[in-house]
Amino acid sequence: MTDRDAWEPEAAPLVRPYVITKGRELPDEEQLSLITLVTAAPADPRRPARLSPEEQTLLDLCSAGYLSVAEVAGHTQLPLGVVRILLSSLAEGGHLVTRPPVAPAALADREILQEVLNGLRAKFG
Amino acid sequence: MTEYIENPLFWALLVAFVATSTMAVRQRRTVRLLRQEIQGLGERYTELETGYEQSVRAAQEQAEEETKTVLKSAMRTLQGLAAEQQLVLSRLQSKYGDSAMLQDLLEIDHTNSQFGRRAQSIAVLCDGWLGGRRDTASVYDVVRSAQGRIRHFRRVEILSQVDFGITSRAVEPVALALAELLDNATSYSSPDTVVEINIRTVPKGICVVVDDAGVGMSDEERTRAEKLLSSERASGVAGLGNPPQFGFAVIGLLCERFGFEVSVDTSSPYGGVRAVVLLPHELLTAMPERKAPAPATVRTAVDAGDGPEPALSAAATADGLPRRRRKRPMAIVPGSAPAARPAVRSGSEQAQIMGAFQRGTRTGRATGPEGADRTSSTRGASSEGHEDS
Repeated sequence: MTDRDAWEPEAAPLVRPYVITKGRELPDEEQLSLITLVTAAPADPRRPARLSPEEQTLLDLCSAGYLSVAEVAGHTQLPLGVVRILLSSLAEGGHLVTRPPVAPAALADREILQEVLNGLRAKFG
Repeated sequence: MTEYIENPLFWALLVAFVATSTMAVRQRRTVRLLRQEIQGLGERYTELETGYEQSVRAAQEQAEEETKTVLKSAMRTLQGLAAEQQLVLSRLQSKYGDSAMLQDLLEIDHTNSQFGRRAQSIAVLCDGWLGGRRDTASVYDVVRSAQGRIRHFRRVEILSQVDFGITSRAVEPVALALAELLDNATSYSSPDTVVEINIRTVPKGICVVVDDAGVGMSDEERTRAEKLLSSERASGVAGLGNPPQFGFAVIGLLCERFGFEVSVDTSSPYGGVRAVVLLPHELLTAMPERKAPAPATVRTAVDAGDGPEPALSAAATADGLPRRRRKRPMAIVPGSAPAARPAVRSGSEQAQIMGAFQRGTRTGRATGPEGADRTSSTRGASSEGHEDS
């Protein structure tokens, strides 16, 4: 027995991911992409007891504010697709609010940046 | 008297009498001998019979043992392969987690778990290997693990949770026994019904109650199940029928070996079978720590203010939207954090700073008019303290 145990590889996780997702399908890419932002629904003070520990963990993660799906997945040890399935089911259950990702920044105008750069160069360059 | 003696009839009678009595004596002796012989034969027969029975039993046991040994090692290989494949699948699932392939990987994983469980059950019947070592796990996770080992796991619903863990030694046996119960429950109930699991704390430990909405068991089936669950079961793989019905035999063996109890003697409120697994205190521990690093680390990161998104819990606008918090100054040079600076500046430092400030304002004023053609953005952004270059 002991020599057997010696070469025993480490065991795979006890609870398989398909059980964690309850056999649900992957959500659509449009519905929940990697950069979709999620946060816990504000009007949900009583945490439903029926949620699995993984779902609770995800809700805890999201309770601090908007996080992207990719970030949420990064904080768990679950495969990304599994996190997406869980998040979408939480959103369906009304525990999560999703928001489409912020449009790639209209924050800084390229021309202004260029002018700043020119100005800096003129002064110090 | 003399006349009697002379009477030939007397002599004839006498002779006859003597002859008869001798014969009688001889016969009696023969009878005795015969009786003895019969008794001896009888004894010998019983002896032979018991001998025969013994040797048949011995042969049976030996055959059973041999079958067990063969099956055990065959199953050991299969179990090893299934476990190995499970590890590979886990790796693949994290590797291809964001692709559509994950769905297929999960399906393969499911099939593999069922396959592993079958091999494990046969191994248990052959007193074989139960699987790799497991960490302490929560009762809920053990139940879910069992759920994952059956075909129709989607029909199983866990309705309650308890804050208890199962000792590492009992994790696999309990999961396997529960999987067999769930397999029975889902197989003997119609596909559109749900199998409910309730986990309850009772004075003796914890009960896992499995209710199905099937047709229930007939008296005969119930008797068979109870016999297999009790200690009077016939051990071994023989007599399991074809197709073999492992379930209760496996559960009975596991109960005996690991000290938990399973009973199926009540009906579920849905008309099917109610199976109750009683886990005694010896098999229970405190709730294990969850491995996921999740909330704590995140919270500290948020508090430090250098997370991807600053803390928002405290600040939210009236309509519930998070309020943006001012970011802290970015530290370009490591170690130049404001906290490292002494609270009270020395005189020379003070002078230096004031000097820089003065130089700055002076250059600002000096370059003001000639910079009018430049855009306002560059002017405002002029730097303090760099002017001496």
